[in-house]
Amino acid sequence: MAPIRDKFTIHSKAIVCQDVELKGDITIGSGTIVHPKATIFAVAGPIVIGSGCIIEESAIIVNRRKEVMRIGDDNLFEIGCRIEAPSIGFFNTFSTRSRVHHTVRISSFCVIGANCVLAPADDDTLSDYTVVYGPSAERRTWTGKGKIQEADLRRKHAEYLREMLPKFNRLRRGDGT
Amino acid sequence: MVSNVLYHCPCLSASSVPPPPHLESSAYSFHPLHTLFFCEECDAVRCNRCVSVEVSGYYCPNCLFEVPSASVRAEKNRCARNCFMCPNCRNTLSVVPSDPPDAGDGRLSAPISTVGEPPFFLYCNHCRWDSSEVGITFEKPTGLAAQLQKLEDYAPESLEFDRLKEHFEPILRASSLSSSSSVAPSISHSHHHSNPITAAASAALARDIPGVAKYTPHARSGRPSGKDRSANKDEMPEYKSRLDINHASTYGSGGGDVDVELMRRLEDVSEIASLEQRWNYSWSTSLETRDLKPLRIPLHSKRSKRCPACTHILIKPEQKAQSVRYKIKLVAANYLPAITVALPHQIEMLGHISAEAAKRSTKAPVDDDKDTRGGLQAGKTYPFHMSLTNPLYDPIQVRLSVQRMHVAAAVSSGEGGTIDKARRPPFAISIPTTPFSVAPFAEAWEYEDDEEMFGLDDDELEARLSGREKEPKPRSKTVGILEKRANVTVVGGEVALGKEARGEVKFNMLVAYTYRSDDPAPSEGHDISPSKKAALETKTFAFYTVVDLGNIIPKEEARIDPYDV
Repeated sequence: MAPIRDKFTIHSKAIVCQDVELKGDITIGSGTIVHPKATIFAVAGPIVIGSGCIIEESAIIVNRRKEVMRIGDDNLFEIGCRIEAPSIGFFNTFSTRSRVHHTVRISSFCVIGANCVLAPADDDTLSDYTVVYGPSAERRTWTGKGKIQEADLRRKHAEYLREMLPKFNRLRRGDGT
Repeated sequence: MVSNVLYHCPCLSASSVPPPPHLESSAYSFHPLHTLFFCEECDAVRCNRCVSVEVSGYYCPNCLFEVPSASVRAEKNRCARNCFMCPNCRNTLSVVPSDPPDAGDGRLSAPISTVGEPPFFLYCNHCRWDSSEVGITFEKPTGLAAQLQKLEDYAPESLEFDRLKEHFEPILRASSLSSSSSVAPSISHSHHHSNPITAAASAALARDIPGVAKYTPHARSGRPSGKDRSANKDEMPEYKSRLDINHASTYGSGGGDVDVELMRRLEDVSEIASLEQRWNYSWSTSLETRDLKPLRIPLHSKRSKRCPACTHILIKPEQKAQSVRYKIKLVAANYLPAITVALPHQIEMLGHISAEAAKRSTKAPVDDDKDTRGGLQAGKTYPFHMSLTNPLYDPIQVRLSVQRMHVAAAVSSGEGGTIDKARRPPFAISIPTTPFSVAPFAEAWEYEDDEEMFGLDDDELEARLSGREKEPKPRSKTVGILEKRANVTVVGGEVALGKEARGEVKFNMLVAYTYRSDDPAPSEGHDISPSKKAALETKTFAFYTVVDLGNIIPKEEARIDPYDV
């Protein structure tokens, strides 16, 4: 296996803590917050993360395919989730300990519930506003009600973290290392 | 396959001797220790089946509000205070304001106010269902139950039920009048009462009092006398329902053409509400998922348990809904010694397996070897260890004895006796029968000989887990008291399996222990009964247990079908 060449392009307004494991070609957009103990592995192909995303502790984002893994804006990756989806839209929520396989493409405004495993055998696309919940990962469509309040909440969440995280964690700056 | 010890509860039966364990019916009389209670007055073990249960309070599982029992009936066993259950995923709904008007994409025209904007609706955080899908919105975020009550009252089922009640009232009143000594049911209303309290009051007024003439507001044509009684009853007017029965199925799953049409038009199975979603409703509702309405959360109850014989309280929970403790907690674990059984060769085998598994991480474990090595093979003799833990603050003397099983006349299940023959004489148990003592329970630091014992244990464990299968420790005996440590005594026994043995190795064991209470310090949960206060008074208690050592791997099938256990 070819050695992984690390190449991190982190926007100056993004907050990435020191304790994050980064590997491979990773681009992080403005305003994104990566908590300590998160893991972003661009093993086979690059990962591009949009702006305003929040990646919490123990989240694992892995790209094992050669294609670029694009993650959109304002997504929330909660604690313990493991994401391998090749393309993710914006305003999605991946709840605690959820797992998304590399066969699923996620659009926008989706919610993957806690502990849900999305691992269909064939390639699948989750349309907008899909909610996955329950132990057997049932799906249903959200009407979108309350999305403005949720968007507002997420922005406030990100702003709060932007203030607080640097006070208590060391930040990783710039390129490499 | 794990070996365990279950305790016998006689459940008020005359004989305290339990049935032999190879009978299927005996499974119900044996319970694990943590599910048993102990009644001090009767000096007996009680289990969940023989204990009498009563409700000690009702509470809402969501808001943890204790509901007084009077309101429970009035509110139909549901929470009256804004607690609703999502019909889709059965989680709690929260009241949520609507979104402010959206100017453009992602840009807010005005900051969102903290109170929020009407209309408010119910929203499930888990599955993102919201009540606007069924058309329920509120103008105010509080007092939701009252707002929904109006909806419930005008539902077709409630109106139909009220109409039925109105129809049957006069008839019931007439029949209660005509019977000579009637304890009139509370249904004899003079007119329809919506409030159950005034209904109860008017029922009390209408009650038949001997010696006093009955008050009837309506003049009845057929004044009840003995002969006319039957005539009155037969004169029942015909009931006209509010709705035509054929159309009723649009409201509920009453069968009929409407449901058939629904099934024909079905495109996706998720359109039909599942059983878990539907069975919480009081009436039978429509089958479609989109018709499911939010429900008020049903109340839960806290129960207290009493001894069936002397009605003393065994378990009494605290009144506060959020506290999980108990005011009175007479559990058997505080009185009876806890017995666990283990087969040392199984433990050794498990140690080997885990050591080997650590070495080769991806190779699948070799199953049949594990079974034959760790299981009980016919024709061999295995030692087993039983540890008894004393919960009392006094030392106890324990005497064990195996119950004789009368299996001479046992019949096989009619299949020629080859399959699942109850292992009757096929095994012989030997356990120490001399009384041995177990030290009293005390705090951990009070045991002096702790460190020595623990050092020994570590060495033994290392010797077992690492290395080859060898004699774990040169013991002079396998049957007898093996060790005593803190308030635990380990005794060893032996089971010898016959060559043709099959089935499970289970035997009843009588445990009799005597304890002396020479200091009157009470143990946990004790009522100090007079006999204990007397110094040097010995009390004996005996109970039966069943010891299950696992299944026997029959000899000839050991290689062919290891999964036969």
